[in-house]
Amino acid sequence: MGDIQLKEADVLAAVLLAMPRFGAAAEIAVSFLTHWPPETVARLKAAADRYQEVHPSVSVAIRAVPFGDLLTTLRSQAGRENGPTIAGIYDLWLPELARDGIIAEMPAAQAADVGANWPQAVAGAASVGGKPYGYPNEIDLYALIYNKRLFAEAGIAVPPKTWDELLAAADKLTARDGGRITRQGFGLINSWAAGVAHPFGSLLASNGGALIAEGKPALDSEAARQSFELIQTLIDRKLSDPTMATADANTTGPYLDNFVSGNTAMIIMANWWESALRAGMGDRFADIATAPIPVGPKGNGPHPVSYTWLTVVNAAAGEEERAEAWDFLAWLNGPQSGEGGASAMGGLLLAMGILPSRSSDIAAFADRLNTPFLKGYVDQLPAARPFPVVLGGQEFTEALQQHLEAMQYGQATAAEAQAAAQSDAVSILERAAQ
Amino acid sequence: MMVAARHGRWTAVLLAPSVGLIGIFVLVPTVLTVWLSFHRWSTQTGFGDAAWIGLGNYQDLFGIGSVGRDFRQAMANTALYAALSIALLLPLSIGFGVLVHQARLRGAGVLRTVLFSTYMVPMIAVALVWSKLYSPSEGPLNQMLGWVGLGPSPFLSSPGTALVSIVFLNVWQQVGYFTVLVVAGLTQIPDPLYDAARIDGARPARLFRSITLPLLRRTLLFSGVIALINAVQVFEPVALITQGGPIGSTNVMTYHIRRVGIERAQGGLGSAMAVALLLALVVAVAAAFALARREPEA
Repeated sequence: MGDIQLKEADVLAAVLLAMPRFGAAAEIAVSFLTHWPPETVARLKAAADRYQEVHPSVSVAIRAVPFGDLLTTLRSQAGRENGPTIAGIYDLWLPELARDGIIAEMPAAQAADVGANWPQAVAGAASVGGKPYGYPNEIDLYALIYNKRLFAEAGIAVPPKTWDELLAAADKLTARDGGRITRQGFGLINSWAAGVAHPFGSLLASNGGALIAEGKPALDSEAARQSFELIQTLIDRKLSDPTMATADANTTGPYLDNFVSGNTAMIIMANWWESALRAGMGDRFADIATAPIPVGPKGNGPHPVSYTWLTVVNAAAGEEERAEAWDFLAWLNGPQSGEGGASAMGGLLLAMGILPSRSSDIAAFADRLNTPFLKGYVDQLPAARPFPVVLGGQEFTEALQQHLEAMQYGQATAAEAQAAAQSDAVSILERAAQ
Repeated sequence: MMVAARHGRWTAVLLAPSVGLIGIFVLVPTVLTVWLSFHRWSTQTGFGDAAWIGLGNYQDLFGIGSVGRDFRQAMANTALYAALSIALLLPLSIGFGVLVHQARLRGAGVLRTVLFSTYMVPMIAVALVWSKLYSPSEGPLNQMLGWVGLGPSPFLSSPGTALVSIVFLNVWQQVGYFTVLVVAGLTQIPDPLYDAARIDGARPARLFRSITLPLLRRTLLFSGVIALINAVQVFEPVALITQGGPIGSTNVMTYHIRRVGIERAQGGLGSAMAVALLLALVVAVAAAFALARREPEA
């Protein structure tokens, strides 16, 4: 009997001794949903592996979906306990996700980190009602991208600085075969909401206007009227061909193909386009340069539209899982995870030609950001105007896209498109606010 | 009396699995969709957060605002897509069906296999390949048009041609399936009917008009209804290639419902659109059956 009791005590002691080890070995699974391409996902996976080396109790699984499916995946899976723990989101989606309680507010430590180490405007775009919801990572803005070889052939020495110069340059650069445009001086984009609205917003801001001012649509302004008319002039003078401007679900398609093959001389596009241009153009990428957005008659300087992406955490994830997710994000976005004082996130963004947003990353990558392509963007960062992040922002963007496309294809005049865009914007934002 | 009661119980027991499954997977989602269509509901939240707004969503659908305008355009695009698909699929499937049904035709089996093989290719692959075929600058279709002296067509890049281009893609993929249906229908027509008509001096055209077509009526009605339902469900080529553009010219109902209900999280409004689409489909199918029933009397 005594022997048996001793054995039971031994077993109990062994179990008690083993329990802490079991606790340490218990794995907390964190999943990370992104739309990044495979090579970037591989870099993120490598960073996650480094994190796991010092945090063996945490596993980080990366899941990538195409950009066109990201919001759908988020809407259908986020907010559920078994949904992705971390997700990269476009800032325009933030207000609805926060309103519906899908994403978690940042803990105080991480919120303080963002407040101290990111530019105020960028941190603000990752907040709703003053509450930060995620780590800002990439920042994107727009510039005039042009083909130097085509400019030289047309006898144009410098990129256009004003709208008049833009029209004059486009006129010289456009080539026609009979009535058909074989090379367009200026390329528009269609069939992709952001691809239509962001370049237009950049022209509008560079003409002293805004898409939304103080929470209300401002498409009825004089600056907006001139911006709509600029698009119509490009179409009427046959300096731009909308059939060369379509985009597909992967944000590639004819608008990219035409620029890559030299059938488009100028276009307003974001910095992240660099990797697509490099891949498509090879050595001919050396022909490409960037310049500030041409300034309109009422503008006081170039003001490209900017937008950010941020990584957020699923509010429905377990408490421990959320805590580990925030810890991983703090490390990923912190200056210890990368090389030379840069964050791992900054490194993988820059590998895609995307500007990191953390102040210390901009400093750490100063040399690498000083390329002929990226410098044009980095220089414009202080003058950038964030795309309005409001409830109903996605629907507002899509409605504006419809009216601008109608003008591109000659189905509406500038005045009609402007009036309809303003009317739609008012009703959309009013309904969204209910 | 007892036998009848026992018989009724057994009937209920035997029917319960199938009726139960239909109830769970068909009726419940349908009723739920109808219920949600009377609510303002964010797709991201639970059903308990849905707020009753009566006919508010339906008023928006038929109102003059952007919601109603986009809905009506999507409905019109879907109707046009379905009409064009059916108008091309049925005659082509009859033509191919008659062709491969001819026992004397050499290689009929190969032709049948080739025709049906397109149906087995996943739509996602079809969409990706056709988007390259339609490429305005480097697509082979435009190169071929150039060989015969025709100017390049914008295909998917113009609001005037984008929807029709997607219809061609759909017809290419589905014609084999409908050809098989027609061949099955042709095998049901007794040969003596043709023999008797030939003895009476009927030529092939008359045989086709007076025997083949009338006796294929049920097959064609079935094909038409299936083609209609398939057409209304079109999604992949729009989502992958055109994103509903340009200017919403390819924005069909399934894609629009997904955009509104899921991307914009307006679940109540999306549900109202789904209910409207369901009703339109029921009316269209009922009309097709009514038309098919009425014609023989005329």
